[in-house]
Amino acid sequence: MKNLAHDSIIKHVTGESVYVNDIQVNSQLLYGRIVYSKFAHAKIISYDLSKAKRFPGVHAVLDFKDIPGKNQIGPVVKDEFCLAENEVNFIGQAMFLIAAENEEIAIEAEKLIEIKYEELEPILDIETAIKKNNLLAPPRKIECGNFEKAFISSKNQIKGKLRTGSQEHWYLETQSCLVIPGEDNELIIYSSTQHPSETQSVVAEVLGINKNDIEVEVRRLGGAFGGKETQANHYAAWAALLAKATNRPVKIHLSRDDDQITTGKRHRFLSTYKVGFTDEGIINALQVELNCDAGSSNDLTLAILSRAMFHVDNCYFIPNLKVTGKAWKTNLPSNTAFRGFGAPQAMAVIETIIDKIARYLKKDPAKIRYNNFYKLNSNNITHYGEIVENNRLFKLYDQLIKSSDYFKRRKKINKFNSENEFYKKGLALTPVKFGISFTTSFLNQAGALVNIYKDGTVLVNHGGIEMGQGLNTKILQVASSELGISIDKIKSSPTNTSKVPNTSATAASTGCDLNGMAVKNAIEKLKSRITKVVIEEFNKKFEGKPSENKNIIFKNNEISDITNYNKKISFDEIIKKSYLKQISLSATGFYKTPGIYFDRKKAKGRPFYYYAFGMSVSEVLLDILTGHHEIIRTDILHDAGDSINPQIDIGQIEGGFIQGVGWCTTEDMKWDKKGNLLNHSPDTYKIPTVRDIPKDFRVELLKGVPNPNTIKKSKAIGEPPFMFCFSVWLAIKDAISAVNNHKTEPDFSLPATNEVILQAIEKMRKV
Amino acid sequence: MIMQNSTNIIKFVLDDKIVELNLSNHPQFKPTTTILNYLRSLPNHKGVKEGCAEGDCGACTVVLGELNENNKISYKSVTSCIVFLPLIHGKQLITVENIAQIKDGKTILHPIQQAIIETNGSQCGYCTPGIIMSLFALYKNFNNPSLEIVEDALTGNLCRCTGYKPVIDAASNACTKNGIDHFTEKEPEIIKLLESINSNKQPISIISKHQKYFRPLTLKQALILKEKYPSAILINGASDIAIKQTKNKELLTEIIDISNIEELKYFSEDNNYFYFGTGLTLEKLKAISKNNLPPLYNILKIFGSLQIRNTATIGGNIGSASPISDLLPLLFTYKSKIKLKSSKNERTIKISEFIKGYRSTDIHTNEIITEVIIPKPQKGVIINSYKISKRKDLDISTVSAAFRIEFDKNKIIKDIILVFGGMAETTKRATKTENFLLNKNWNRQNVEQAMNIIYNEFKPISDARAEADSRKIACKNLLLKFWLDI
Repeated sequence: MKNLAHDSIIKHVTGESVYVNDIQVNSQLLYGRIVYSKFAHAKIISYDLSKAKRFPGVHAVLDFKDIPGKNQIGPVVKDEFCLAENEVNFIGQAMFLIAAENEEIAIEAEKLIEIKYEELEPILDIETAIKKNNLLAPPRKIECGNFEKAFISSKNQIKGKLRTGSQEHWYLETQSCLVIPGEDNELIIYSSTQHPSETQSVVAEVLGINKNDIEVEVRRLGGAFGGKETQANHYAAWAALLAKATNRPVKIHLSRDDDQITTGKRHRFLSTYKVGFTDEGIINALQVELNCDAGSSNDLTLAILSRAMFHVDNCYFIPNLKVTGKAWKTNLPSNTAFRGFGAPQAMAVIETIIDKIARYLKKDPAKIRYNNFYKLNSNNITHYGEIVENNRLFKLYDQLIKSSDYFKRRKKINKFNSENEFYKKGLALTPVKFGISFTTSFLNQAGALVNIYKDGTVLVNHGGIEMGQGLNTKILQVASSELGISIDKIKSSPTNTSKVPNTSATAASTGCDLNGMAVKNAIEKLKSRITKVVIEEFNKKFEGKPSENKNIIFKNNEISDITNYNKKISFDEIIKKSYLKQISLSATGFYKTPGIYFDRKKAKGRPFYYYAFGMSVSEVLLDILTGHHEIIRTDILHDAGDSINPQIDIGQIEGGFIQGVGWCTTEDMKWDKKGNLLNHSPDTYKIPTVRDIPKDFRVELLKGVPNPNTIKKSKAIGEPPFMFCFSVWLAIKDAISAVNNHKTEPDFSLPATNEVILQAIEKMRKV
Repeated sequence: MIMQNSTNIIKFVLDDKIVELNLSNHPQFKPTTTILNYLRSLPNHKGVKEGCAEGDCGACTVVLGELNENNKISYKSVTSCIVFLPLIHGKQLITVENIAQIKDGKTILHPIQQAIIETNGSQCGYCTPGIIMSLFALYKNFNNPSLEIVEDALTGNLCRCTGYKPVIDAASNACTKNGIDHFTEKEPEIIKLLESINSNKQPISIISKHQKYFRPLTLKQALILKEKYPSAILINGASDIAIKQTKNKELLTEIIDISNIEELKYFSEDNNYFYFGTGLTLEKLKAISKNNLPPLYNILKIFGSLQIRNTATIGGNIGSASPISDLLPLLFTYKSKIKLKSSKNERTIKISEFIKGYRSTDIHTNEIITEVIIPKPQKGVIINSYKISKRKDLDISTVSAAFRIEFDKNKIIKDIILVFGGMAETTKRATKTENFLLNKNWNRQNVEQAMNIIYNEFKPISDARAEADSRKIACKNLLLKFWLDI
C-alpha cells in the first residue's frame, strides 16, 4: 500500500502524547510502592508492618493476608504469588505494598518495615540448576528422522556448546499502571500492558471480583518488546489492591532501576549440539539440547521454549534432527517474552553450527547456508512436520548476494586482513525464517468493534495494542481502504476491554494480521448493511436494470455501481440515510487464523500460518587490541509480503535489527554471588546508541511477493528482523578468526562484548 | 551575613514569561528538586519524560537558553533529570511544548518536528521529546552539520525502537536554515526578560528546616561559606552529585553551588602553561583543547554525552576522584597541577599527589579547587589517551589510559609515564613497567616484554563492567597500541 506516518507522530514530536504516567488525576491520587525481597532465596521468619502503617501520610500497607481473592498472578500456570507468603524466591519479589501521599513518604515508610529472613542457598545459573536437577517442567522433544543413525554414518562431526545471554527490554517507558476505583466493585485500569484482557483477568482473580467490573484501557505503550506481555499484569494487580484498600486512585510507576531489578528478561540459554555433515557441508544429522533459564516461575517460559525448538532449523532442511528443550528454575525474576520469543536463542545455535562447518571445511559460510536451505518442492518439511510454503530464500539470496557485492567484498576483506595485523575485518550473511502465529493455537483470534457515526466519521476499536510498531496506523489504512473513505474521517480508539473483550496479547508479531482481519470483518458487515440501503436508493433514483450487490463499491468517499458510474452517493449521505432507515451502524468483527494446529504428544503439526523470510549481510572492522568493533555496512533484504506501510515496516526492520545488535554485542548482564543484578541502570547496561549503527545501512523490502490469505496480502513484521543481528555477531567472529587466518575456531559466545572478543583473541594468539 | 543582598527566589523564563519560585518555603519544591520533576508537576509540561534519572538516556532533555557575551542567546541541551532548579536561574527553560509555534490558534511545527515526521523517526514516542530537544539545540547551533556533529548531538538520547537512522536523516534534512525559526523572531523579547532577571545579580541562599543551599556569585563568598560549612557538598553542574538524590534518595543537607561564579570559568595561557578555571564545562574544555591539547580533546569527544558535558565541569571531575575517571590519567601524564584555595590560603599541588585513593583526595574541608594548570608539552614529548569501554560512547571506561613518552636523540626512552584508570582503586601509574622501559629502545620486542610486566602489575577487580582478566588484557594491549600509534 503506501507510506503514512505513525498516527500519533505529531503528538509525539510536540510532547502531547499521553502515557499512563501523564494522565491527569485528581488530588486524591496516591503513590503506590512495592516492597520487594532483597534476597534471592530466603524464608520469611517474621515481619512487622505496624510502624510503617502509622507513618504520617501512609494510607495502606498490605501483605498477602490482605488479598481478598487469590494470591496468584501466574499468567498460564498458577505458580506466582501476588505477594510473598513464607518464602522469597528472587530479588525483586513483591512482599508488601504501600500507598502513600507521595514517593518520599512511601520510601520512609518502607524503611520502617522490619523483616527477618533466613537465607537459603540460591540457584543463580543454569549449570547449578542442572546439577540440582531443578527442572521447571518435564523436558520436551521434537524429532524427525533418526539422529543417532545418521550422526554415526556422517563423514564429518562437530560437537559444541553455546551460551546466549540475557537481555533487558529497556522499553523507554517503565512499567506503569493507574487504577481508579468506582462504584461497587468497579475499577478503571490504565495500564501499560500488551495484554489488557489478561490484566483484567489477573486483577479480577486477585481481588476476587468479576471481570465485568473491570475496565482496562490502553492508549499507547512507550515500548514493550514482550516485556509487558505478562509482567505488566503484576503492577495492575498491586495498584488495584491498594486502590481497593484505600478507595482512592493509585499509581505505580517504576523507577528504571526497580524495573531492571524486578522484571524478567530474555531467557539465557546454554545449548549443546552434535552435528554430522558431508564434505559439501550438507547437514545430515543434528541434535540440540536447549537449556533455558526460566527464572523463578513459569510465566511464558514453556511457550518460549517451544518456539525455540521450532526455530532450531532456521532456514535449513535437516533430515535427521532431534531437539530437546529443558527449562530450569533459578532464583532470578521470572524470564519472559522478548522479541523473537526464544527463536533468536535457538537460531544462534544453528547459525554458529553452520559457521563452524564452514571453517572446518574451509568454505565460505554463505555457500554452506545456501546448500542447506529448504528447497522449493522437495526437502521442504520441517522437523515438526510443517511444509515450508512460499519459500523466498533463493530469491532473497540471489538478490542480496548481488546487491551486497558479497563475494567481491569477501576477497577485499581477505586482502585487508592479510595486510593488517591489528585491524581485522569480518563479513557474514545470515538468513531468517520465522514462523508467524501464536504456537498456542487458540490464541490466534481477535475482535474488533467499528462504529460509524451520523456525521460519517468512523471509530475503529480493536483488541491490539499500539506500542510504537504502527499497528493503529496500519489498521487505519486497512479501514480506510475497506470503507473507501479518507483516513482523516477514521479514528482509532484506545484499546479497551469493555469494547472488545477476551482478546489475545499483542504479541508474536500478529497484531496487524489478526486485528486487521477482525476490523475488516466488522467493516464487511457494515458494508453489507449499507449496501442494501445504497441499492434501494439507486433503484429508486435510476430506471433500468436494478443495481446488484456485487457491483457496489466503496471508494473515494463514495459508493457507486461499477456498471454505471452515474449511480453514486457520498459516504456521509448514505450514512445519514442508513440511520434514518434504522440500520445499525456499529458492528463487531472477529477473526481466527484458519488451519493451524499442533499435536504436542506427537510433536507434529502446522503451528504456523506462514513464514516470514529475510536475509542480511554485515561487515565489521575489529580493533584487535581494544576489542572495539564498528559495523561498516549492513544490507538487509526482507520479505514483508505486500507491505501495508513500507515506511513503518522498514522502521521495524531497522529498529529490530539494532535491538538484536545490542543483544549480540554490548548488552551484557552480570549477577553477584547473592543474585543481585549488577547492570540495573543505563550506567552499566548498554543498549546501542546512535553511534553503534552501521555506517552504511541499507534496508530493502523484497518486491512482488504478496502473501496469500492475509490482510492486504501483507506479512507480520515485528520480530523477524531482530534476528538479522546474527550477521553482525558472526562477522565479528569472522574478524576474530582472521587473527589466525581462519585456522582455529575462536571461543565465542553471545553477547560478543569487547571483553569476550579480547579474551578470544588472547587465546588464539597463544595457540 | 556571608552573602549580603542574597535572595531565596529563583527566576527564569518559561513559556516566554518570567517564573519566580521562592524555594525557602515552597510546599512542593526544594533547591534540589530537579528541572524534570518541576516540569512534570506543571499541567502543561508533561512531554518531558524520565527514562533513567541519571542522565544516561536523554528522555528528559530540555534546552537552556543563556545570554552569552555577544548578548545573544546560546542554546544548550541538558538532561533535566539531574539538573537542580536553582541552576536555571537567569536562563530560559525550553521544553518540547515550546518547539512548535502557535499562531492564530494553529500549530506550526518546527522544521525539526516536521523532519522527524517525514522520516518516521518516532515509534513509541517516549524518547521523542528528548530527541526533539537535542535536535532543536543542534538546529540552533549548526548549519548543515556533519554526521559527526549530528551523532554527537544525539549520543545522549537512547531510542529502543527506531534504530536511529531516521533520526539522523531528520537532523541532516532539517538543519539547513542557519538556525532561523520562531525563536529567532522572539529572541529580542526573551533577551529583555533575561536581562531583567540578570541585571541585578544576587547570590541565592535558601534555608529551610532540612536543607541549606547557597549559590554565591564570587569565589570569596564561596570560600567563606566553605569555611563556615565545612561538610557542605560543592556542586557545579552537579551531574554526579545529583544522582545521590535522584536515585539514592539522599537528602543533601548543605550545598554550596559554585556554578554562578564567573571568575572560575576562564582559560588562559602563557609560554609554559595552560590555565583552566575549574568552573569550565567539559564542553567548553573540549572546544579549547581541540587545538591546544589534542589528546584531551580526543577523550572529551567520547566523554559522557553532549547534555552531560554541557553541565559537568573539569573541577567536578577532578574532585570526585573516580578510579575510572577518563580525565585523571591524562592530567597525570601532563604533569598537571591544581590550585586549591581557602579563605586564608592558597596552594598548588601536583594532581598525582592530590588524588589519594578510592574517591579520596587531599582537599581540606575549607578548600575549593580553583584552577588546573597544564604545562605545555615540550617538543619531543608524546602524549596519547585511550579508553576501552563496553560501548564506545556514553559509557564509563572499563580501562582508561594515558601515556607520555620522551626519547633522547638515540631513540632511547628518557621519560615515560603510564597511567591507568579502572585498574586499581584509584588512578594509578604502572611504575614497574615504566622502570623496565626507561633507558631502553622503544621497539616492539621491548614493548612486548613490557606487556608481560604490565599484565601482572595491577590487580583489578571484576565488576558490572568487566572481568579482572579482560581488564589486564586491555591494559597490556593499550601499551602495544601506543607503540603502534607513535
